[in-house]
Amino acid sequence: MIRATDRPGSPTVFHERRTYRRRRVMDAARVTPILALILWSLPLIWPQSGEGTVSSAIALIYIFAVWSGVILLTWGLSRQLANEMDEPPDSEP
Amino acid sequence: MSTLNLLIAVCTAYVFFLFFVAFAADRLALQGKKAWLRSPLIYTLSLSIYCTAWTFYGAVGSAARNGFEYLTIYLGPTLVMVSWWWLLRKLIRIGRTQKITSIADLISSRYGKSSLLAAGVTILAVIGTTPYIALQLQSVTLSFSVFAAQSDGLAPQDQARLGLWLSMGLAVFTVLFGTRNLDAKERHDGVVMAIAVEAVVKLVALLSVGIFVVWGGAGGLTEALNRIDASEFGEWHTDRSRWAGLIFLSAAAFLCLPRTFQVLVVENDDESHLRTASWAFPLYLCLISLFVVPIAMVGLDIMPEGSNPDLFVLTVPLALGENGLAMLSFLGGFSSATSMVIVAAIALSTMVSNHIVMPIWLQLRPSGASVSGDVRAAVLMARRISIVGVVMLGYLYFRLSSGGEALASIGLVAFCGLAQVLPAMLGGMFWRGATRMGAFAGLTAGFATWLYTLYLPSFGVGTILPMAIIDNGLFGLEWLKPDALFGISGLDQLMHALFWSMLFNVVAFVTVSLVTFPSPLERLQAAQFVNIFEHSTNARSWSGGTAQTEDLMVMAQRILGAAEAQKLFLRHARRQGARGDLPAPTPDFLESLERELGSSVGAATAHAMVGQITGGMAISVEDLMAVADETAQMLEYSARLKEQSEVLSRTALELRNANQKLTRLSIQKDAFLSQISHELRTPMTSIRAFSEILRDTDQMNSDDQSRYASIIHDEAQRLTRLLDDLLDLSVVENGQVNLNMREGTLRDALDRAVSSAAIGEDGAQLKIERDSAKEEILLHTDLDRLSQVFINLIANARKYCDAAEPHLVIRVMQEVDRVVIDFHDNGSGIAPEAVDMIFEKFARVSDQKAGGAGLGLAICRQVMTRLGGSVDYVPASRGANFRVVLPYSTAMAAQ
Repeated sequence: MIRATDRPGSPTVFHERRTYRRRRVMDAARVTPILALILWSLPLIWPQSGEGTVSSAIALIYIFAVWSGVILLTWGLSRQLANEMDEPPDSEP
Repeated sequence: MSTLNLLIAVCTAYVFFLFFVAFAADRLALQGKKAWLRSPLIYTLSLSIYCTAWTFYGAVGSAARNGFEYLTIYLGPTLVMVSWWWLLRKLIRIGRTQKITSIADLISSRYGKSSLLAAGVTILAVIGTTPYIALQLQSVTLSFSVFAAQSDGLAPQDQARLGLWLSMGLAVFTVLFGTRNLDAKERHDGVVMAIAVEAVVKLVALLSVGIFVVWGGAGGLTEALNRIDASEFGEWHTDRSRWAGLIFLSAAAFLCLPRTFQVLVVENDDESHLRTASWAFPLYLCLISLFVVPIAMVGLDIMPEGSNPDLFVLTVPLALGENGLAMLSFLGGFSSATSMVIVAAIALSTMVSNHIVMPIWLQLRPSGASVSGDVRAAVLMARRISIVGVVMLGYLYFRLSSGGEALASIGLVAFCGLAQVLPAMLGGMFWRGATRMGAFAGLTAGFATWLYTLYLPSFGVGTILPMAIIDNGLFGLEWLKPDALFGISGLDQLMHALFWSMLFNVVAFVTVSLVTFPSPLERLQAAQFVNIFEHSTNARSWSGGTAQTEDLMVMAQRILGAAEAQKLFLRHARRQGARGDLPAPTPDFLESLERELGSSVGAATAHAMVGQITGGMAISVEDLMAVADETAQMLEYSARLKEQSEVLSRTALELRNANQKLTRLSIQKDAFLSQISHELRTPMTSIRAFSEILRDTDQMNSDDQSRYASIIHDEAQRLTRLLDDLLDLSVVENGQVNLNMREGTLRDALDRAVSSAAIGEDGAQLKIERDSAKEEILLHTDLDRLSQVFINLIANARKYCDAAEPHLVIRVMQEVDRVVIDFHDNGSGIAPEAVDMIFEKFARVSDQKAGGAGLGLAICRQVMTRLGGSVDYVPASRGANFRVVLPYSTAMAAQ
């Protein structure tokens, strides 16, 4: 008879190092949009008037700098994830 | 005037170029050269369908009016593209696996293939897209009028005519390249290629204008930035709610707009292209928006007060005297407008024909769709009509609105309307509990709110919604005022509508989903959509978890044998480190088990069997087909085996017959040997006896002497004949015989044979019946040998025919390539069991009629073989019938 611990589907706790790395790259790919969203939401808390207002040039440079950063990050991650596209992804969240 | 003429010439040339590109791409695709047509680069460029004329011209206008707000329109899609790993990959996989043809199809497919939902989304899409098409037509006519203003201006009726020509041209292009084939996957290589080219034109045009403005007009990057700071842009002033709301809205629109869905999901050829597009399309958007602010800034600087900032992209280069650059910029705007209309028309026509026209058509047909070609033609026709209808609807809207300002904001209004699909779409992809009723409720609530708070008011106060409702709310209820629901005023109208419509949408969607119960089909589709990666893995693989190891064990034992199966399971259990003898059904284990089983029952069958037990996977049609293939192979194999075994048993039978014949021959040979020794011995005995009498008897009268001597002579002759026969046979058999070929008629040969056979005739007369006329056949053969055969046959008839009045018929038949001579007597014939023996040496039908040594027929057969013919015994109803066949080459019909 099968005991509870032998039941099918009990997940393996430890993965080998490569698998572990791969999963963290996937995690990174998942959080990238959140990071971008947070960075682009920063203008929401910039002061609209009075002291400390951000000049247009700085604002423009900031937004495009974040943009370039996001593009570079996504590019790097998409290279890392090249092999994953063909394989079925893991059920691990 | 010359500028306008030049513009029209360039424009026409460009359109022909696009036709050529689309045509060439379609041709290449037909030739199977898809690799280049469907590269990640082309895919990325085709996504730029998102950037329409509204973004091409309008972005600068928006920047001039509202500062940095225009950026949100590009930031939203960037966020979506960056979310490729968890969002778009899933969306595209669903689209490919479920063969999704449009966003309406996606929603309907997810919620139990509901046609009502599909029709609803389609209507929403048509309502949301028509003004947008009108906007594109307007932007092109406006840009024309900018050039025309340089000469003598463009009359309003000319604008209308231009709009009509443009929409007709676009409709023709779309019908030509959008409905070429009715592919199940709805891919249009020519259109995608043309759009990719237009994407490049757009980008190059905007970048050129930007670079010219920054380095040519503003005097370098730093200087430009300083001037931006000093200009009306000044400091960062952006409505916070609009900044956040528009990012959300543009992201939602990027997913939900029919045209972007078309290129993003439907036209996607390879999931891996998404990997490139995930960073390349944000790069494209980044570059497109890079120079918007400088252009707007310079435009505000140098253009006269009150000029339309939407056209700065055109007017700034013109004002600076750069006509070529303005032309390029015009082409960029033209590309943006045309590509949008083309793809939107394709996407909408697919939806309209699939979800509105076809259902109605099939309902109206009394017999139903029974002929497949019939439906195909009908679908194509419906699609073509829909394309023309959609484009013309846009033109109509363009003519009716005709006020430029009303159209300017319609882009965001359309975005907001289509964003109502988002909750149902995302909910359907990530939440199994989402139901059809929920989706329907959410869409209805959101759509109604959008219609009431944004769409209808967008036509202008008092146009469709009466003034009273705007002022006092619906039914005079203050809290139902379209621009201040529940009394919350002060919000921007767009944000107000977006907030309430999305809120009602999501709340209705979730609440109704929670309280309703989905149909079985819905639940199946829900599982398929939400767990798409488990259901559609590229390689056939197992995701375990529900498999019953014990059941697998039982099955494996049946197939592999108990000991083997237990060994396999134990090995895997040890490898997994599991306690007990049964391993967990991990994918590794299942795959290896499947391989083991596959070696016994075939891969597909094994896959299906494991699939049945694990239950984790629906057996796909491909699996079933693979099973069928394997079965067919096995059937073929067994048929081959059966055939081989039949051949073997036939051979065995022949061998058995041959063996029996050999045994009989051996017996006959022994019999012959004793016979021949007897035959030789009898004359020898009499010769010895009579010669002794002659030697030992002194007084013998001459009569006796001569009588005894003649007996000795006769017996010696008999011996000689016997030995001659034996010699003759061995000579013929060994092929040492020399054929004396000459010409003569068959009749002569037969005459000779009959007369020879008649020598020594005694007792019963054999009556021979012949037909001389038919025997007049000229032969070229060894006539002596042939006569010998005939003599033998006739002598046999005489010897063995046991009828009271022996009678032989010799019948000659001339056929196409041979001459047949039958010797048919009226005796009792030859016993069937003896038939295959009579042509063997030493064979004799009966012992008592020991007339010869049994060599005659054997010699006959050998002779006939040498002559290229044959002699056979042909069974007849009564009597013996021997048939001699001569090949035609030896027979020449007598003249």
